[in-house]
Amino acid sequence: MKENITVIPRHGDSFKDKLFLPAIYDGVKVTFKHLFNNVTDINAVDTLEYPEEQPRDITERYRGLHRLTHRSDDSIACVACFMCSTACPSNCIFIEAIERDDEKDEKMPKSFFIDTLECVFCGYCVEACPCDAIRMDTGIFSLTGNSREDFVMDKEQLLSHKGAFGEENSCARD
Amino acid sequence: MSTLSIVIAIVSFVLGALLALLTIPVLVWLERRIASLVQDRLGPNRTNVFGFRLGGVVQSFADVVKLLLKEEYYPSHIKTGRWLFMLAPVITFSAALLAFMAIPFADTILVDGEALRVQALPIDYGVFWYLAIGAIGVLGVIFGGWLSHNKYALLGAARAGSMVISYELPLGLSILSFIITYNTIDFNAMVQWQSGTFFGFLPAWGILVQPLASIILIVALFAETNRNPFTVAEGESEIVAGFMTEHTAMKFAMYFMGEYVAMNTASAVIITMIFGGYQIPWVSTEMMLQNFSTFAIALMVSVPVIVFLLIKWMRKNNTVRPTVSTDGGRNFETKVLSIALISMTVLIEVILLYLMFFADSALANSITVMLFQIVVFVVKLMLFNIFFILIRWTVPRFRYDQVQHLGWVYLLPLSLLNLFITAIIVVGVT
Ligand code: SF4
Ligand code: SF4
Repeated sequence: MKENITVIPRHGDSFKDKLFLPAIYDGVKVTFKHLFNNVTDINAVDTLEYPEEQPRDITERYRGLHRLTHRSDDSIACVACFMCSTACPSNCIFIEAIERDDEKDEKMPKSFFIDTLECVFCGYCVEACPCDAIRMDTGIFSLTGNSREDFVMDKEQLLSHKGAFGEENSCARD
Repeated sequence: MSTLSIVIAIVSFVLGALLALLTIPVLVWLERRIASLVQDRLGPNRTNVFGFRLGGVVQSFADVVKLLLKEEYYPSHIKTGRWLFMLAPVITFSAALLAFMAIPFADTILVDGEALRVQALPIDYGVFWYLAIGAIGVLGVIFGGWLSHNKYALLGAARAGSMVISYELPLGLSILSFIITYNTIDFNAMVQWQSGTFFGFLPAWGILVQPLASIILIVALFAETNRNPFTVAEGESEIVAGFMTEHTAMKFAMYFMGEYVAMNTASAVIITMIFGGYQIPWVSTEMMLQNFSTFAIALMVSVPVIVFLLIKWMRKNNTVRPTVSTDGGRNFETKVLSIALISMTVLIEVILLYLMFFADSALANSITVMLFQIVVFVVKLMLFNIFFILIRWTVPRFRYDQVQHLGWVYLLPLSLLNLFITAIIVVGVT
């Protein structure tokens, strides 16, 4: 048993430690250095002046607001397969399908709603989609509205969002 | 009593009230800005009146409006002692405010052979006044906590009581050492004593003459003002807001402001007793009055330098990074403030020139010296307040039994020892 016991040395028994003042002096030195540097150059403070200054650290992997992608001829890429709404853990994707008439695929969504108040921005819908039709690469991180209805995105709104990182069209449908 | 002496008495009273009351918003702002700058944040810097944000100090006035308009909530479970519950914050606040009134802002001024004190209350027993009135403040804390009928508030009040017995004795004994050294209980006479020199070259400031008593005084006053590292009467993590848990709106604001007034008063007492008060080192009031033209020239050189540095600092720091889309009128504000500062400097220069060459009135000279001393006092006061705030953001809190231990086991014997040594030396010298 004895060899399993680790004795942790106790600090604070020396005269210098008991005096407190040297430690306080050291502490004040640190805080004063920060204060002095920041007072003499306020712009060195690495604080984002939001909203005048927008975040600079949104990467391609950031899950922002959703968008529906287009094909190269600007028609909708979604084939209304319901994969995304099935995968969605918060059941907030509402799709109604109709037959497609432009000979590209059999189906397309008549209406496509995402209730962003329910959405947890998990990205499962993006993973589930076989057609690369839904993406979260808009870089939009703040959504405001005056009523609950404002937060329910319809098909037109989702199609109007632009990708923020160069890839505009669906990579799986052309 | 001449008219002028009445004017000076009124002016010093108003000045005392203003210095105590107007510093509250400034101190609240300083606290928040310094806290954030120490932690590499920006702090409140947006509230403005017509684009004038003055570094964010306008925020405090917005806060005052908010506190005034808050709902006055009265806890229904408090059945007895309601009037004392309401009165408690007022006790704390007014005790701190009254204690400040005995502080001299400048040396006594001679008007028609009459020596007038430049302090809000012209009394010559300032130290006793401070000790007597300052100690009442904690009664408000204890009453407020006790009558809240709330376990957190009661615990806070009990802790405040335990604080009093830990720091009052060392505080009194260290002040006694100063009284023996300076041989007076008058704050103004203490400052005059400190304008001399010590060992021939050191300024005879209390901190150099009585280092141990000075440290004990500073520690005890930190405890008296209930500031970090001695904030035991309140503690978010243990007893919510402590004694003021049940106090709302202006009742809370009274406690809150009382804390800042107490801090301001403590700073004033500390600089008056151990940092030479309104004096600048090595220079006494008589020296300034006798060599008035030298003093005026020194002032005329140093004021533009200070203003120049201030404007330079403002031009560099009242800006935003280039990545920020708008500077929110900071550029305009800098320009207006620069013009105001420069015209003020010119005015001061003109007045000083006039005093030096054309007017030959001793009274005008002594009023100039008085104004200068008031400015020195305010600058020192603010510097020490900044030190108070810096300590708060540096040192973690003590447990309240640790404070008692510190007070009784270390500070009390040390201050007694210091008292004995002081007494022996003073008796030996005289
Ligand atoms: S991000 Fe997640 S919660 Fe939001 S719609 Fe997609 S699957 Fe549903
Ligand atoms: S967005 Fe993708 S997963 Fe969802 S219905 Fe359209 S094609 Fe299917």
